[in-house]
Amino acid sequence: MSERICHREKTVNVIIDGKQCQGQYGQTILEIARANDIYIPTMCYLTKVSPITACRMCVVDVQGVDGHILSCQEKAVDGAVVTTTNDELFKQRQNIMKLYDVNHPLQCGVCDKSGECDLQNKNVEFKVNTQEFAAKDLNRKRKKWGILGYDPSLCIMCEKCVHTCNEIIGANALYIKPGGYKSTIDIRMSVCEQCGDCISVCPVGALVSNEFKYTSNAWEGNKIPATCSHCSSGCSLTYNVKYVGSVNPYANEITRVTNDFEFSTLCGAGRFAFAFENNFSSKDEEAFKNAIEAIKSSDTIKFNSYITNEEAKLLQVLKDNTGIKLVNEDALNYQNFLNTYKKASGNSLYTGSLEVIKQSDAIISIGSRITVDNPVVKYAINEASKHNRAQFVYMHPIDDVYLHDKYTQFIKYEVGSEEGVMALLASYLINEAPQSYKDYLEDLDIGYLSGETSTGEEEFELIEEKFVRCKNKTLIIGEDLFAHSCATNIAKFVGLIDKYTDFSVVLVPSQTNTLGVSLICKLDKDVGSKVVGYNEVGDFIISDNGNGHLQIPALNQQEGTFTSIDKRVLNTNVALNFDGYCLNDIVNEFLKYKIENTIDYTLQLPLNKGFKAIAFDDLENGYNKNGIDLRGYFLKTSIVKNSKEIVLDEVEDINTYNGTVIYRCEPLHQFNKNTKKSLLLKTSNNLRGSAAFATAAKIKNGDTVNVIYGSQTQIKKFKIDTSIRGTVAVYPTFDDKLMDNLITKGYRFKQVQIERQEV
Amino acid sequence: MSKVYFSYWQGEVIDNRGVEASDCKEASAKFPVQYDVDIETKAFVGWDGFVLFEDDVDVVKLSLNYARQYQEYSEACGRCTPGRWGGQILYDMLDKIARGEGLMRELDHIKEISLTMTTTSKCEIGKTVPVPILAMIKYFEEQFISLIKEQKKSPWYDTNDEKYISNVTAPCSDTCPAHVDIPGYIEGVRELHFEDSLSATRAMMPLAHTCGRVCPHPCEDACRRVNLDKAVSIMELKRVGADWETDHALAHEWFHPQKPQKPRNDGKKIAIIGAGPAGLTAAYYLGLQGIACTIFEELPVLGGEVAVGVPEYRMPIDKYNKDIELVEDLPTVEIIRNHRVDDNRLKELVEEFDATLLGFGARLSKAIRCGNENTEMKGYWGAIEMLDKVNLWHKYRIGSPAKEDLNGKTVVCVGGGFTSMDVVRCSIREGAKRVVMLYRRDEKTIIRNTTLEEYTEAVEEGVEFIFHSAIDRLIDEDGQLTSLVVNKYELVPDPDGGRAQLVKIKGADFEIECDYVIPAVSQSCDLQILPKEWDLTMTSWGTLQTNGRDYMTSKDGLFAAGDCEYGPMTIVNAVGQARRAASVMARYIYDQKVSLTDSEIMEDHMNKLKVFNKNEKITGWIPGIPREESEKVEISIRKDSNVEVNLGFTAQEAQDEAERCMRCYYLSMVAV
Repeated sequence: MSERICHREKTVNVIIDGKQCQGQYGQTILEIARANDIYIPTMCYLTKVSPITACRMCVVDVQGVDGHILSCQEKAVDGAVVTTTNDELFKQRQNIMKLYDVNHPLQCGVCDKSGECDLQNKNVEFKVNTQEFAAKDLNRKRKKWGILGYDPSLCIMCEKCVHTCNEIIGANALYIKPGGYKSTIDIRMSVCEQCGDCISVCPVGALVSNEFKYTSNAWEGNKIPATCSHCSSGCSLTYNVKYVGSVNPYANEITRVTNDFEFSTLCGAGRFAFAFENNFSSKDEEAFKNAIEAIKSSDTIKFNSYITNEEAKLLQVLKDNTGIKLVNEDALNYQNFLNTYKKASGNSLYTGSLEVIKQSDAIISIGSRITVDNPVVKYAINEASKHNRAQFVYMHPIDDVYLHDKYTQFIKYEVGSEEGVMALLASYLINEAPQSYKDYLEDLDIGYLSGETSTGEEEFELIEEKFVRCKNKTLIIGEDLFAHSCATNIAKFVGLIDKYTDFSVVLVPSQTNTLGVSLICKLDKDVGSKVVGYNEVGDFIISDNGNGHLQIPALNQQEGTFTSIDKRVLNTNVALNFDGYCLNDIVNEFLKYKIENTIDYTLQLPLNKGFKAIAFDDLENGYNKNGIDLRGYFLKTSIVKNSKEIVLDEVEDINTYNGTVIYRCEPLHQFNKNTKKSLLLKTSNNLRGSAAFATAAKIKNGDTVNVIYGSQTQIKKFKIDTSIRGTVAVYPTFDDKLMDNLITKGYRFKQVQIERQEV
Repeated sequence: MSKVYFSYWQGEVIDNRGVEASDCKEASAKFPVQYDVDIETKAFVGWDGFVLFEDDVDVVKLSLNYARQYQEYSEACGRCTPGRWGGQILYDMLDKIARGEGLMRELDHIKEISLTMTTTSKCEIGKTVPVPILAMIKYFEEQFISLIKEQKKSPWYDTNDEKYISNVTAPCSDTCPAHVDIPGYIEGVRELHFEDSLSATRAMMPLAHTCGRVCPHPCEDACRRVNLDKAVSIMELKRVGADWETDHALAHEWFHPQKPQKPRNDGKKIAIIGAGPAGLTAAYYLGLQGIACTIFEELPVLGGEVAVGVPEYRMPIDKYNKDIELVEDLPTVEIIRNHRVDDNRLKELVEEFDATLLGFGARLSKAIRCGNENTEMKGYWGAIEMLDKVNLWHKYRIGSPAKEDLNGKTVVCVGGGFTSMDVVRCSIREGAKRVVMLYRRDEKTIIRNTTLEEYTEAVEEGVEFIFHSAIDRLIDEDGQLTSLVVNKYELVPDPDGGRAQLVKIKGADFEIECDYVIPAVSQSCDLQILPKEWDLTMTSWGTLQTNGRDYMTSKDGLFAAGDCEYGPMTIVNAVGQARRAASVMARYIYDQKVSLTDSEIMEDHMNKLKVFNKNEKITGWIPGIPREESEKVEISIRKDSNVEVNLGFTAQEAQDEAERCMRCYYLSMVAV
């Protein structure tokens, strides 16, 4: 390597307003000032994106330099002496506010943003109490963009929304329509994901949620910090809860969800699917007695992973004391995968995280339609793509048009061939390993495997070539692989890649608390003869959804913790009260315990799995000013030294999937019955596929079809979706009424028969 | 020098108001006194001041129209608070004064808003627009005040008798022979909109991969950042957008600056001779407009000298091919390979096509002019022929490896420009035992003629540079070169203060034993293609003469661009000339007239005025933010391989470097 100067590692010392501050080269003056509690006003600065440089409020003076310096973008140089405020700077900032105020409608009385509006706040700060300048007014039309509402006359063109849409979300839907004074924000509706993050970053009332508009004042109600319960990303959010006793029999209602938008991002499910509380909120003693009886007489509790760690622990307590079987297919698959991975890699948990993905310059994703499986992982990939210009290899049987501007390589493999693909990947990625592994990998019949998987050897060679200079590599493993019939061998390959290459690995948990449940519960494979369903189908159903035999609180009515994709225990709080029974009551009754609260179990989560002995009430909420997420704690991880070598299995012959194949996959922002309950996300539950699929299945757009799998038949409407390529259709299950639909079980691809219903 | 009535420019005030014609002073800058043939300029307004060429110019009107032009420019911008609202307020207040409704305090408001704009705007355009307006108020205050006092609408207010033509440029863009929108493509990198970055580049230059790698970047000498610390690494930032497109090639259509127009299918067509940078560029801009054109290329491969001359390690062919594909993919562009155009064929083409562009380059190696020089001598190898062989083999597997000739041999190259650098560095890669570069002048000059990077890399790879030396004669045995006799020179300063002279040092001659001598002193055009009877006007250095503005030769409908017009020069020069020629031809084929657009006329005027001012003091930016350097492949690897030496900026480096750009857009306007 020729000699290069690396500026970024140098320390810089600067004096800001007389205070000695230290930072690293590359940090801006504004960043160093903020880290040192020095205030510099901004209107367009948004921590999570690159400097926007539109507002010009953050100008400061630097000794020896003529003119004002833009502190949000200009890097601090060693020895700089900075003044953040003086009369002249105040004057210029005041003038900028006067310009912002040109023709700004004085509708604060009815503006959604009033009370938390940056324009209001800065006008007060800079003592601008009249609209000093005016220009000929323009007829600016309000726009309705699905869930979003945009009012161009309120817009101050700070461009935060546009940067977020491009740099974080990666939709690149919002853009600036230039026109000087006439300029506005505009949208490419076809690519808008309706995540609503633009609403949260808007400093004024220009971008709003149409449903929230004119319903509440910003300052009304309680703000409940919580953790999103829809997927394993565990995003931090705040439920805005308002008393609506006069209009609603349930005295409180969640009016909206907000977030620490400077540092964090929510997907549309987190932001808009908040009204999933269980409204049957009273103590039904009869049902409670029946529930106790049902558990006594049953041999199995069936459940899923949309529960808290504490609920999982309570179920495990029941099992420990009664021997009742715990069946959760999702968590069991994950648990098995994780355990095998552990043995192969020597790590107690996988090595990657969302942050690791964001920092990557090389990413491989396999076994997941990641855009919808976990939108936040996609955001992280997008950030890596934009900020690090990451090489991103997307491996899946179905191409994803929403990743087209992100992936640098798409490798399409045969449905069912994941084991072969992973073997190939291991053979190309692993260079140094003990001889037994090397022998195994060298003995692989590459030609045969690439034939069977329909991947080209040159595609893997290209990965090697493109990744050669990359320094931070991540392998993202999705749900398709956990439920695969060869999951064990696949997990071994993943473990070995982790151990013998410089890749970090993320096993994306399929449901909100899949990781937590798989660490806490000892799970059984098969159900017994009599089943109590805990949010699942069973002979007796305990449900937070209003449709079972005993009502329990939904996840926005509970306090407790989730274990997220970041291997982090995250606390959530009660947004809405629930007056009925909960699992803790059942366990108390059953075992004659007197444990007052569910969260008393937070302390009892298994220490040997990395949980810590920290009481729930000692966990903090939200972010600090430097963007550090304060919630919960990270699981302790360990590396097993001198772990034994494992034995790799022969790669099995690949089952070919012929005929009509469907892929269990939800539409964007839908995960389960909770997101389905949201009236804001009006997603259809259609079977969707390409025109090619329609031809092969002999059906047409709009047909009602019978999807026959095994002995079951499901009825779906079929829609042609041009964003889905190839001959596999996408089958959503978030709305499934029949909860024992076999399609929801096991490997996500299914060979089915499809029949067109005669009208 | 320019004759003016009044001028205020770069602080120089020339005030000829009430001065006898004979006593009038001239301004020192080259202003656009004459807008075009037959069109006199009345006034000129720019980033640094304003000029009145006539005594009856209404200054209020001039200021209002400059503010209006800024509003029009903002149609494409309006990206910062002071620029977006400030410019509007400035315009509104001047308009109020002009229509007789202004108040005295509005003059103060104009000054206040101007100060906010000058000190806080995002781009130089927002910072500099108030400069001439404030100067007009200062030097012609009475015109403003009388309108305010009389509350009377200016007589011209509702008339439309003058034409105002404006132009946006930047010092870097002005200096770039292709006038690429450099701040535009850098902003795309800064904002992580790499597709926008690339479209901005392609608005003026289709060869983004190429000029993001091998351009000698004259723009960087005119970067205002030079006045502060070091120039922005302009060239390398160009590559970022191109690499992004190529990396994500599966996903996208080409990022064109505009959607290509539908083929016109009106029977009009243009012939282009040569698929080098000039030919490809012309085809691209004609193709974008839907005009049919056919490129005739003599070689089986496309790209001209950049393909067969510039080595793979500097300009990987798969990247250049992307630039070429971009052009070839346009529906109205046709490229015919293996088609040599001679004088008879050219006569046919000129008949058959509505216009013809010559872009055949300069591909004849010039002689060393030394004793015993004989091109037939074994071991005497012209640079062009040598590089053809090397590149055809490595890039296309045509011919045979030059290693067979050069391995273990001693090679001496005579030169000092890019071509000679390519020769010596290729010789190293082909296994030569010893590689010597003989150059008449010194190290400083060779760096100026090429680039510091190029020179440094060559030294690192083991090229021996012998300065102040020239070949006296070649020595051969039976027609096989064995050695050279070299004269040594020294630089003797001129006692009269003129340019120092190279003087041969007596008795300092020395001999170098060698197997090859490769002259890379310069190239000339192969003029056999030109029919004698046309009697085309040629330059004294044997290239096609045009006026350097519309690129038409002395024959109607026959145009020339690139090295065959200018002589051996840069890629970016060929691109700039060819784009202009394409623009002229696109009109010529319909009206048989040679015309320039207003923006082209302004482009030339600004180029004469010189936009970059090396004496300007920069304010509002901290000096000392280091210029990023991209990583280079280590010497041991690159010495004997053709891998691209320059790895380009990492994402972080690119963004850091883009943030150094000061966005020096300037607005100028003439009243005619």
